[in-house]
Amino acid sequence: MTELTADDLRERWYQSEVSVPPISYWSVVRRRFLRNKLGVAALIVLILIIAAAVFAPWICPYDPLVGKPADRLQNIFSFSTGHPLGTDEQGRDMLTRVLYGGRLSLLAGFVPTLVAAVVGTIIGTWAGLVRGAVGAILMRIMDMLYAFPAILLAIAVGSSLGAGLSNTIIAVSIVFIPPVSRIAESETRKIVTSEYVEAARLSGASRIRILRTQLLPNVLNEIIVYSSGLVGVAMIIAASLSFLGLGSRPPTPEWGYMLESLQGDIYVVPAVVAVPGIFIFLTSVTFNTASDALREAMDTRLG
Amino acid sequence: MTTAATDAPPILAVDGVTKTFRARAGLHRVRISAVDNVSFTVPAGSTLGIVGESGCGKSTLARVIVGLHRADAGTVRFAGTPLPRRGKRSRTIVEHTQMVFQDPYSALNPRASVGESIGFPLKVQGVPRPDIDRRVNKVLEDVGLHPAYSTHYPHQLSGGQRQRVNIARALVLEPKLVVLDEAVSALDKSIQAQIVNLLLDLQSGYDLTYVFISHDLNVVEYMSDQVAVMYLGQVVEFCDASMLYQAPLHPYSQMLLSSIPTLDPTQRAENVLADSGDIPSPLNPPSGCRFRTRCPFAMDICADKAPAMIEARPQHSVSCHLFDREYGDPARIAATKGE
Repeated sequence: MTELTADDLRERWYQSEVSVPPISYWSVVRRRFLRNKLGVAALIVLILIIAAAVFAPWICPYDPLVGKPADRLQNIFSFSTGHPLGTDEQGRDMLTRVLYGGRLSLLAGFVPTLVAAVVGTIIGTWAGLVRGAVGAILMRIMDMLYAFPAILLAIAVGSSLGAGLSNTIIAVSIVFIPPVSRIAESETRKIVTSEYVEAARLSGASRIRILRTQLLPNVLNEIIVYSSGLVGVAMIIAASLSFLGLGSRPPTPEWGYMLESLQGDIYVVPAVVAVPGIFIFLTSVTFNTASDALREAMDTRLG
Repeated sequence: MTTAATDAPPILAVDGVTKTFRARAGLHRVRISAVDNVSFTVPAGSTLGIVGESGCGKSTLARVIVGLHRADAGTVRFAGTPLPRRGKRSRTIVEHTQMVFQDPYSALNPRASVGESIGFPLKVQGVPRPDIDRRVNKVLEDVGLHPAYSTHYPHQLSGGQRQRVNIARALVLEPKLVVLDEAVSALDKSIQAQIVNLLLDLQSGYDLTYVFISHDLNVVEYMSDQVAVMYLGQVVEFCDASMLYQAPLHPYSQMLLSSIPTLDPTQRAENVLADSGDIPSPLNPPSGCRFRTRCPFAMDICADKAPAMIEARPQHSVSCHLFDREYGDPARIAATKGE
C-alpha cells in the first residue's frame, strides 16, 4: 500500500463533490413563488391582460375611436353582430376600447410606480446615509406629503397641473414618492450599521463602492416588494382621476374615463357599463395577489 | 517567553484610548463613555484576550482598534504607525488589520456569493481578477472549506461554515493583526471547539496576532497569552493568562472567575463571591472606582478616588485600591509580593 501525501489528499478533496449545488437568492425566490398557486394564477391572468392590451392593434378588428351609431348600446355577448362585450353610446366596440384603454391604464399604473421607486430610493437612501439635519428635513417633507390621503393629494396635484394623462402620471408619482423613500430610508439605516457593511468599510472600500455593492442590492429588495403592490393602486388612482375628468381626454379610451362616459346608460345596458370597472377590478386584484405572493417568496430570512 | 515578547516591537499599542458616544435620553443629551482611558500593548505573534460582561465596551474597543470608530482621545499604533484621527487609513493599515465579527449571519452580504464576499477586499485593493480567484480558493482551503463553496450563497451555509467564510474574508488580505469580536460566541459548543482550533492553526500558519474578545472565560483562557479584564469601559486587570486564572487580583476578576460553573458537584457554588447589585449604567458611572457599587471589599477611598493601574506583581497590573501602598490591604500586598 502506498503512502498518501498531503498533495494526494488535497487532490482527492478537490475531486470530491460538494453535495449541494450553488443556489442564488433569486432562484430561491423563483422556486418559492412557483409553489404559490394563487400567485401563479394571478400572474398568468395579469400577463394575459397586459399582452392583450399591448397587442390590441393586432387583435382588434374595430377602430377604438370611431363607431357606427346604428350599433350603439348593444348588450354584452352580442356575438351575432361581432361585439362580444357590446358597444358603447357611440356604437364603438367595447372589447376594442377596453383593450386600447388598458394600454393607458397600465401605463398609468407602471410609469408612476417606476418613477416613484427610482426617485424614492434616491431620496430615502440619501437621507438614510447622511442622517443629520439634511436627512431629517428630507424625511419630514416626505412625512408631510405622506400625511395627505393619497387620492386627495393626487386630485390636488392633478387639478393644479391640468387634465391629461401625463399630468395624471406626474400626480401619482408624487403621491408614491414619500412611502417609497420612507422604506428606503429605514432599510438604509438598518443596513448601514450591519456587520457586512462594517466589514466592507474595513477593507478600505469607498462610500460609493459600498453603496453600489452592499447597500443598494439589499435596499432594492424591499423597494421591489413594496413597489409591486403600488402598481394596482396607481391604476385605481389614475382611473379615478380620469373618472373625475382630470385624466385622459376624450375620445381616447381609458378605463376610468370609459366608466364616466357610460354612466348615463347604466339603466339601459348595465352589463356593458360594468365592463371597464370589471377590468379595473380584475387588474388591480391580480396585481395585488401577485405582489403578495412575491413578498412571501422574497421575505425569506435568508440572510 | 517574556523576554522575547518584550524585545520585539509591539504590533499593537493602545495608549489612553477613550471613546464617548453622544445619545439622547428623552430631551437630554447624554454622553456614554464606552471606552475610558484604555492602554495596553500586544507583542507580535501573541494573543490578547479581552473579557468582561456585555456592555463593558469590548466591541467598541475592537472597532476603535481596527479603525471603524475613531478614538476621542489617545492613540492606537499599529507596528509604530498611529491610526489617523480622521481621513482614510493608509493602505498598509487596511491590509494588516482585519476583524472577524460576532454574528455569522449578519456579517455576510446575503446577495453576494461566498467568493464575492471573500474577494471583495482584494477587489477594493485592485488585485487582478485571476489572482483574486486563486487567493480566494487558497484561503477557503485554509479555513477548511472546499473551494467549490465560492459559488455558494450565505443562506446555504451553516453557522460554522459562515464563520469560516468570515475568517477567510479577514485573512484574504494576509493581515498581521486580526481582532476577533466574540467570533465564536454565537456558535454551538461543538462548532466553537472546531473554530477555536482552526483559529489557533491559522495563527501559526499565517503568523497572526490576535485580539480575542469574548465573555467566555474558558475560551479566552484556551486562546490567550495575555488577558485584559474590562469593566464599564476600563481595563481593571492586565496580566498573563495563566496568572489570571490561577491568582486573580481584582475583586471583579475574582467574581468573574468564581462564576464559571463547575462540573464538580462537590464544588458547586461554594466560592461564588456575593454579587452586590446590578451593573451600573455607563450613562452615569459611579464616582471613584467604577466597580465599587458591586465590590464586596469597597472602602471609603473607593468612592472618592479612581484607582490607577498598579503593577502589583511583575507583568501583572491591577487597578484597585486594595493593592495601593497607602490605602490598601497589607495582607493582600504581602501575598502578592510573597509569591
